[in-house]
Amino acid sequence: MTDWLGMLAPPRTPRPELKERVLARALARRRWRGSLAAAALITLAIGGGAWWAYRTIDTLTTERDGLAARVRALEDTVSTFIHAPTTQVIQIPVSTGGRVGSVTIFADSVHRRWLVRCDGLAPNARDQAYQLWFITDRGMATAAVMPMDQDKPMVMGLETPGADQRVMGAAMSIEPRAGSASPTGPMVFHRLL
Amino acid sequence: MTSPKRLSQEQQRSLERRLKAGDERALAELFDVVAPWILGLAFRMLRDEDEAEEVVSDVFVQVWRHIDQHDGARGPLVPWILSIARNRSLDALRRRRRWWRKAAHLEQGHAAVASDIAPAASHEAAVPGWPLHREVHAALAALAEEQRRVVVLSYFEGLSHREIARRLHQPLGTVKTRLRMAHQKLTESLRHLRDWVE
Repeated sequence: MTDWLGMLAPPRTPRPELKERVLARALARRRWRGSLAAAALITLAIGGGAWWAYRTIDTLTTERDGLAARVRALEDTVSTFIHAPTTQVIQIPVSTGGRVGSVTIFADSVHRRWLVRCDGLAPNARDQAYQLWFITDRGMATAAVMPMDQDKPMVMGLETPGADQRVMGAAMSIEPRAGSASPTGPMVFHRLL
Repeated sequence: MTSPKRLSQEQQRSLERRLKAGDERALAELFDVVAPWILGLAFRMLRDEDEAEEVVSDVFVQVWRHIDQHDGARGPLVPWILSIARNRSLDALRRRRRWWRKAAHLEQGHAAVASDIAPAASHEAAVPGWPLHREVHAALAALAEEQRRVVVLSYFEGLSHREIARRLHQPLGTVKTRLRMAHQKLTESLRHLRDWVE
């Protein structure tokens, strides 16, 4: 039965202040819940931000450690090249695009490694690149294709050809951007060791 | 005499929609309409003005928080609110361990019971819901005296069947029969009340 029996009791006019008190309490509870929800959202946002920062710092730390290890390895390599008794240093003056530069080769014949530094080379045309060659007893073998778009020094490490070939010297030519199987363009230098 | 406020079916539905939408002004309007009846019911059950006002406060907090639980298809809004008020009043009675003091108060005589359910004075006619109050009273008055008494003890005092039987020195089966018959008659008499319409 619908609860109409509650209407049996005589009505009582509430005191004027009761309405204000009742509404304040009812609405305050709702506002408090709203504030709680906002606080929860803020906490969540801060927590999420902290988690993101933690992950980012962790990632960057790992990356930094990796880079530091790589730098140390490179330092070791360079140090080995420079200070090893078997390393031969060849500096070759070059002239490209009307300017004078140099190519320096640290050649470690025991470990079959070269460290090559190019300074002062003129930037290539859009469709061209410098190509470095090993001069071997079997002919020219490509060492590296080096598109030079900016006027900056270039450093690279190279593995020389296998034991069945004897490296006798180095050469550099200007070739198409993708490189060539054998020298076709103008020769920048050709040097026997 | 001041003419009573009128709240049409459409106004009642609109009020309920606004409450569900979280309109704070609707809560204030609801207070104006039903607070006198909630306070009257709670006071009738608790016989304490401060406790009755606390019930009013509890009821409005509950209505505001749980208005979504009211299913308009299952019944009008006002009886739903009154049932909350009654339950809150019963909770207060039990929680505050004043049951037996109130019961002892009732023991002073059934004349008090009869006077307690007398219609409100005519100066209260400006209160919204006044005609409903009169109709429910008329339905109760149409019951036999013994049926009316068990209804009042059950509804307003929250007594169980067994407690009513003890109070009235009647067999339990008699009490159950009187309550069942009373509820059947009241249901029939009040069937036409659908809304808070005056």
